Amino acid sequence: MEARNLLQIEKLGKDYSSKSKALTDVTLSLPRGQFVSVIGSSGAGKSTLLRCINRLIDPNAGSIVFDGKDVAGMGRRELRQVRRRISMIFQHYNLVYRSTSIENVLQGRLGYKSTIAGVLGLYSEEEKERAFTILDQLGLAEFAYTRTDQLSGGQKQRVGIARALLQDPLLILADEPIASLDPKASQMIMEHLRWAVDTLGITCLVNLHQVDYAIEFSDRILALKKGHLVFDGTPDELDARAISDIYGTPYVEERAVRGGLFENLEEEVLATVGAA
Amino acid sequence: MTPPVWAGTRSPVPVTEASTGAMGAPAGAASAETARQFKRYSRRGKLKTRVMTKSNAALTATLVAFGALTVYTMLTINYGKVALFDAFVQMLKNLMVMFFQPGLAGHFTAFDVFEGVLITVALSVLTTFIGAAIAFVLGLLASANLSNRVLANAIKAVMSVFRAVPTILWVLVFTVALGLGAGAAVVGLLFHSIAYLVKAYSECFEEVDAGVLDALRACGASWWHVVFKAVVPEKISQMLSWTFIRFEINFTNAIAIGAIAGAGGIGYQLFLAGSFYFSFREVGLIVYCCLAVAVVLEVIATKLRKRYILHS
Ligand SMILES: Nc1ncnc2c1ncn2[C@@H]1O[C@H](COP(=O)(O)OP(=O)(O)O)[C@@H](O)[C@H]1O
Ligand SMILES: [Mg+2]
Repeated sequence: MEARNLLQIEKLGKDYSSKSKALTDVTLSLPRGQFVSVIGSSGAGKSTLLRCINRLIDPNAGSIVFDGKDVAGMGRRELRQVRRRISMIFQHYNLVYRSTSIENVLQGRLGYKSTIAGVLGLYSEEEKERAFTILDQLGLAEFAYTRTDQLSGGQKQRVGIARALLQDPLLILADEPIASLDPKASQMIMEHLRWAVDTLGITCLVNLHQVDYAIEFSDRILALKKGHLVFDGTPDELDARAISDIYGTPYVEERAVRGGLFENLEEEVLATVGAA
Repeated sequence: MTPPVWAGTRSPVPVTEASTGAMGAPAGAASAETARQFKRYSRRGKLKTRVMTKSNAALTATLVAFGALTVYTMLTINYGKVALFDAFVQMLKNLMVMFFQPGLAGHFTAFDVFEGVLITVALSVLTTFIGAAIAFVLGLLASANLSNRVLANAIKAVMSVFRAVPTILWVLVFTVALGLGAGAAVVGLLFHSIAYLVKAYSECFEEVDAGVLDALRACGASWWHVVFKAVVPEKISQMLSWTFIRFEINFTNAIAIGAIAGAGGIGYQLFLAGSFYFSFREVGLIVYCCLAVAVVLEVIATKLRKRYILHS
């Protein structure tokens, strides 16, 4: 039944310019408590899909119903209320690096605050306790008062997850959360997201470009290709043929598994070069 | 123009245009050929390292024009009845008195001078603070990432017009409008401070990582939340540095303005000592006082700029 779905997207369309369409007629629904990965080559429209759901981008067509409310047509004030139940996690963590971990985590509560309370940072004792508990659950209690620019990539992303969880979200949108991390940190982040789904009943919609991680952690996999939803099924149904359709390259078992790591490596190298 | 000779690193014989053409390609000839195609030579056949681009040419032309204008003015200016040499000697004498025998000469007490400096500092603090507060809000509205693009560009355009008019002129404008006195000086200094700080602040704000703004907006944060929880924490040290730099500028301006607008302070005393009492020793003393304060401010401003603006 539709009413039970947490998120219902119908015929969603987005074009940045009249020439190219980033999303075309995407229809999908997500129930509560499911881990869903979105795969597809870069430029397929994965980020656009996620950003339409919390309206960081305004879609051109279609409807998005979240928790019974129509997100696509909603005004600014209502949008704030919906956004506080939808968390977002980013590839580049997007933390305020001059603030400490605990301050970053507490920003997850801003959606619940009046302007004055938020600006002055008037968080309740209960909120602060919870922020600590979540940091502790993610193994970061000792870094609560550390400025986030001093944390490693994996630790930064865990602060990102903590901020997301403090929102009390029903849905977490994660846009390539592990694309800048090494395999060990990636594994840990994926496990934390899986834990949020299993123990907190949150739905996670995760963009990934590593098919092996998608297969390992997801309940369900979606695939986008040139803005169209071309696959929606379980990891078991995602066979070699389906993968080669999605990425448009012949599928070689070994490459598909390692491919993720190599791409990752390349990004790491680029990131290092960029930083130097 | 003699055909340039290129010695390939892999080839022991100098390779000329003819020989590569005739003998076919030695190793690396393809790259040699392409490299040659892009090389440029001066009239003497030397390989050029600089080329005359449009902006280079414009710069040279401007410099030449200024040079010519200066020489022309020097030659043709009407010096009136002033004997240039005598005037120069007299000036040196006065300067000697000013700078080697500074001191009080009965027109001012040491306390007067001290108070004058304080008034000038107070005037610059006042204009800097009020200016910073107004510029903060305008700076937010002038940042493309925090505001509406049309509004941001409009504010930027207006501010650059304000900035283009020197502070002294603003003071004169407000002297006409408000009458001579401290009011005109404050408003005039304020005007230019705001225009300057809006530019400095909005450029800071626009550097804030768009992802961080997205992250806060995605949490349901309001506009002021985004400002005070992301923009301000990331940029506070840069903003304070710019504000201090403006304070230093305002101090120097306040001296000049104290004289012309009769706003009081050390500038006005300088004006009295120089143009009214013709007391060169006092002028010297006052200049040294101003210099001392200005140097201290300048040193701090330079340190702040190095630490927080250039290396942030
Ligand atoms: N801000 C933007 N302006 C214009 N085009 C964009 C913008 N963001 C994305 N696109 C285009 O939309 C398409 C989908 O992009 P995106 O959703 O970022 O893909 P993915 O996340 O799968 O790599 C791409 O063709 C991209 O070039
Ligand atoms: Mg993307």
